[in-house]
Amino acid sequence: MEPAGRLRLISPGGFIRIARGSLHSTLPMTPATTTSDARRRRALGQIVLLSAGFLVLVAISVASVLLVNKARKDNALVVHTVEVESQISNLLLEIRRAESATRAYLLTTEPQYLTEYQSAAANILPALDHLARLSADNPVQTANTARLKDAVHRRLADFARSIDGAGITDIAARVDVLRASSSTEAVQAIADISRAMRVEEDRLFGMRTANADQTQILASSVTIAGSSMVIALAGLAIFLVRRSSRIRDEAETQLRDINVTLETTVDERTADLREANEEIQRFAYIVSHDLRSPLVNIMGFTSELEELRGDIFRRISSLSRTASLAPALPEDATDSAEPVLEGPDKQLSDDFNESLAFIKSSIDKMDRLIGAILNLTREGRREFKPERINIRELIDNIAKTVAHQAVEAEARFEIGSLPNLVSDRLALEQIFSNLIDNALKYLKDGVPGEIAITGRTKLGFAIYEISDNGRGIDPKDHQRIFDLFRRAGTQDKPGQGIGLAHVRALVRRLGGTMSVASELHNGSTFTITLPINWTGKSRDKES
Amino acid sequence: MSNPVTIIMIEDDEGHARLIERNIRRSGVNNEIVPFTNGTAAVDYLFGQDGTGANRKGQALLILLDLNLPDTSGIDILKRVKENKYLKATPVVVLTTTDDSQEIKRCYELGCNVYITKPVNYESFANAIRQLGLFFSVIQVPPAAP
Repeated sequence: MEPAGRLRLISPGGFIRIARGSLHSTLPMTPATTTSDARRRRALGQIVLLSAGFLVLVAISVASVLLVNKARKDNALVVHTVEVESQISNLLLEIRRAESATRAYLLTTEPQYLTEYQSAAANILPALDHLARLSADNPVQTANTARLKDAVHRRLADFARSIDGAGITDIAARVDVLRASSSTEAVQAIADISRAMRVEEDRLFGMRTANADQTQILASSVTIAGSSMVIALAGLAIFLVRRSSRIRDEAETQLRDINVTLETTVDERTADLREANEEIQRFAYIVSHDLRSPLVNIMGFTSELEELRGDIFRRISSLSRTASLAPALPEDATDSAEPVLEGPDKQLSDDFNESLAFIKSSIDKMDRLIGAILNLTREGRREFKPERINIRELIDNIAKTVAHQAVEAEARFEIGSLPNLVSDRLALEQIFSNLIDNALKYLKDGVPGEIAITGRTKLGFAIYEISDNGRGIDPKDHQRIFDLFRRAGTQDKPGQGIGLAHVRALVRRLGGTMSVASELHNGSTFTITLPINWTGKSRDKES
Repeated sequence: MSNPVTIIMIEDDEGHARLIERNIRRSGVNNEIVPFTNGTAAVDYLFGQDGTGANRKGQALLILLDLNLPDTSGIDILKRVKENKYLKATPVVVLTTTDDSQEIKRCYELGCNVYITKPVNYESFANAIRQLGLFFSVIQVPPAAP
């Protein structure tokens, strides 16, 4: 054998590769946090931009409505001024018509001029009233209108007097009447007042036109300013949207790249882990194998020594008997029975026996440990076959096989409803029978045992709980009990410290997890979580 | 037996070889034992320089074979012996520390006649070897094919 040569098969390379690889995993995290910060700022900016655009639009609309209203009012005022002017002209025209009709009637006494005078005179007062109504808003014009009314009344009175004078037959006398009735003062007043009114209205017209123009200019400038702002904001928004979409595209590409590399990295590490795991298994197998070989020699030659010891002490005993010249026993008795020894010889023989006994018990123990490691590695190599398993049936069968121990321990099983699984039957049997055995083995002395097995499902996993009212496990030992060759609590039961290590290894290979909840003297609950539909691909060993 | 059987012991562990020899002798078998501590020397002896096994023609042999050898696998030697036309009738006893059922099965498939696990428990070991001695005295070892 060449154990040193075989030991070289295991190299720490696998572990170093994994450790080195795991350092990379933290690197992509740093840029991710900064970009998320920038993204938040960008989103805020876009919101601000949108609100600004909206506010500008609202302001423009409100200003436009206000300005349009103002323009309409201004225009109405301009139109009003024009109306007043035209009414003044209308009034003056009617007065002129009445005057010329009066004159023509006095000179000719033709009744057609009388009719014309009457129609003109009838129009004058309504026209005057209309003018008064139109100019009611302006105190200056109201005063002017009042004065005009006065003058017009006087003029109408003149006309009436002239028409009355038409009865005079003498033409010269009628001309006199005409002359007398045309009071220059009233005519002058009408002309002055109407001119004043015209001037006033012209002034108003100018002012109002300027006003309206100003309003219009204001409205158009507001519209132009608003529109350009909206256009500017839209441009900014387009720029920002383009920039953010470019950033998003870049991020997407980056993410895709990272995903691809991540997959490769995961694959690489899985391969590394699998390799390391296989290396460990090979190592354990070879080591345990090679350790057994010298052990066979140690045990073999120890046994040979034991035989020699018999021979040696028989010879010593016969020699000492010969020396003392006392052949007390017959010769043939020495072959089968223990040689009779005395004093220091007996002490020597006892020491010899004790040493040999220790050597042999240690070899036995070592052999059991090596056997356990071999079994574990063999289990690790076994191919699992997933199949549908009725867990209730499986547990019932285990309970039946331990019925004898259960009766001895006065223990009772309580089996609840248990979800069924697709998994490896042999592995599940080993898992549950180990846990049930443990529950039975570590009950409290003198207390009837109660072992409950319950199950439930959650998110594609079946969860089983095996709880007992036994002696419990100190929380500081909860990790230790799953380690190979380690045990906890009072060591009053036989065992190698293999069961739970084995169970946990099996649960892991079946893609599950297990845990324990317990405290000293208060029972223990072992929880096993297994995938309901296990496909045969465990975490460390894929097909 | 007119043609005494030669026991070929291929065992790299000298301690094991000594223990096996002692126990065989104790069981009363006094045939010649030719020990080999590595596979190459054993193969050379069995198959000769030309590798045909012709020089062992007509000899009555019995092979005690350890599977874990430093230079070659015992399985390979077993295979070659069972495939050789002169040696294939030679009984082969496989002696190893492995109690792996797969390996035992493979040995029997390849034509091994007896498979003995070397137990650490010396009593069982000595027993197994002594029974083997008994087995030697009972079986008729045929001479290698002419």
